[in-house]
Amino acid sequence: MRLAWLHLHSFRSYPALEWRPDPGVNILVGRNGAGKTNVLEAIGFLANLRSFRGAPEETLIAHNAETAVLRGEESDAQALVEVEITRKGGRRTRIGQKSIGRTSDLRSALRTVAFLPDDLDLVKGSPAGRRELLDDVATQIWPGAALDQAEFDRTLRQRNAFLKQGDRDPATLEVWDTRLAQAAAKVMGRRARAAAALEETLVESYGRIAGEETSVRFAYQSDWGGTLDPTTPASEWAKSLTGALRERRRLDFELRTTGSGPHRDDPAISLGGQGSRHQASQGEQRTLALALRLATHRAVSLQTDRLPLLLLDDVYSELDPDRSKALTDALPEAQTFVSTTRLDEVPVPGRAWQVSEGDIR
Amino acid sequence: MFEGPLQRLIDELARLPGVGRKSAQRMAFHLLGVEREDALRLSSAIVDMRDQLRICSRCYNVTASEECTICRDSKRDQTVVCVVERAQDIAVIERTQEFRGRYHVLGGAISPIGGIGPSQLRIAELGKRIEDEGIMELILATNPTVEGDVTAMYIAREMKPRGVRVTRLAMGLPVGGDLDYADELTLGRALAGRSEL
Repeated sequence: MRLAWLHLHSFRSYPALEWRPDPGVNILVGRNGAGKTNVLEAIGFLANLRSFRGAPEETLIAHNAETAVLRGEESDAQALVEVEITRKGGRRTRIGQKSIGRTSDLRSALRTVAFLPDDLDLVKGSPAGRRELLDDVATQIWPGAALDQAEFDRTLRQRNAFLKQGDRDPATLEVWDTRLAQAAAKVMGRRARAAAALEETLVESYGRIAGEETSVRFAYQSDWGGTLDPTTPASEWAKSLTGALRERRRLDFELRTTGSGPHRDDPAISLGGQGSRHQASQGEQRTLALALRLATHRAVSLQTDRLPLLLLDDVYSELDPDRSKALTDALPEAQTFVSTTRLDEVPVPGRAWQVSEGDIR
Repeated sequence: MFEGPLQRLIDELARLPGVGRKSAQRMAFHLLGVEREDALRLSSAIVDMRDQLRICSRCYNVTASEECTICRDSKRDQTVVCVVERAQDIAVIERTQEFRGRYHVLGGAISPIGGIGPSQLRIAELGKRIEDEGIMELILATNPTVEGDVTAMYIAREMKPRGVRVTRLAMGLPVGGDLDYADELTLGRALAGRSEL
């Protein structure tokens, strides 16, 4: 996968940008606030239709404009991707001449794996970040995963709305439970398989950054069902979640929210048999965060047979020289975009670009 | 923005589904140019529809008389009823020419977010029809959305104990096309819902 060119109109700090990146490594150099991350964010948006910074869509539009337009061409499949974002919340997405309504149709045209400054949270932070990582891996590998996630979210919101009504009609709750369990089982199944795919590549990725062999396990766990085996059929999970929902029914009515399900699950990573969130050292956690992104890239390339683009947002400034070198050696042969304030901080050979005043030169 | 009556029409048109401000303006300016008779024909069509149409007392379809033409048609199979969310769904199924039973319009789907529970839908009425009309099979043709699914499941739960057969429309591939033209999602769903040969 290669991004042949990128056009931005009224996207954040870019009134009009036309840029042809190098097919190899691109290093975007500029002072803070020059707009380096905005470029990486734009590339990520073309691939995932959302900001990797979690920014709401309307904030991506330049202050003086009503709409932002992002365009890019992936050169292997010669796919032209075009996204238009409007302030009213309408978004138009097209691949070639075909307009598409679903994010999942877009993923196959362009894929990205982003290393972000806050990645340590994947290891140290709450389970939400790890759930999101697994969902992201799942959507990159399986086109149907995004729809499953949307369906689960919608069902969960409906069930919670029902609990908030205070109407305790058991027949209605029963059907919501059944439907929620069906949707949940699909999400859990994909997450468990994504965790298994990641675990396979994680040992090697971790070893390459750490410089030593360590056993790494990525287990998808829930507080009601224990560790979930990826080979368990979805109907089994639906059944056990239905049971868990029934047991908690009284509590759910009281708290007016759904207490068990994939939205509460805790995917856990262990290093050498110990939990990484609380028991690993700061250094191990940092290594693991890098390894998770590398492993994601490897897993997605293995499963899809295409190399996703790499986005490295100001990652090197946080790393000591050893990890910095180890990461550089471990980076795959994909088209890469690195942002930095200081060129000498980046040990990767590549084409350097100056970013300032809404332009890249 | 425009003189009183013109702006009023634009505002009214813009309230219609699928019509934005710009389209409303275009329609209004078009109507400004038509003959008085044409304008009257449009306005009376709207008023007549409003005055003369009502809801079928049996299936809740739209009709000009007490019962709709489908319910009055004695050649149609009275033992099979196709359950839909809205009256406009009937036209879609009728166009297939494949269904010879009658209908039942629920008036929506269960959606706690929208404040719609089973009692806001015509589910009790459906139960009564099963008892009164000797219905043997319900085909649930609610939308393939979370809300449509839950509504179908709820109805199945309520109606099965009354001894009717309850079925749901199958989901799958478009007919007549090659497999490689099907999008991944539809194909994925079709795989999940595959049937025995």
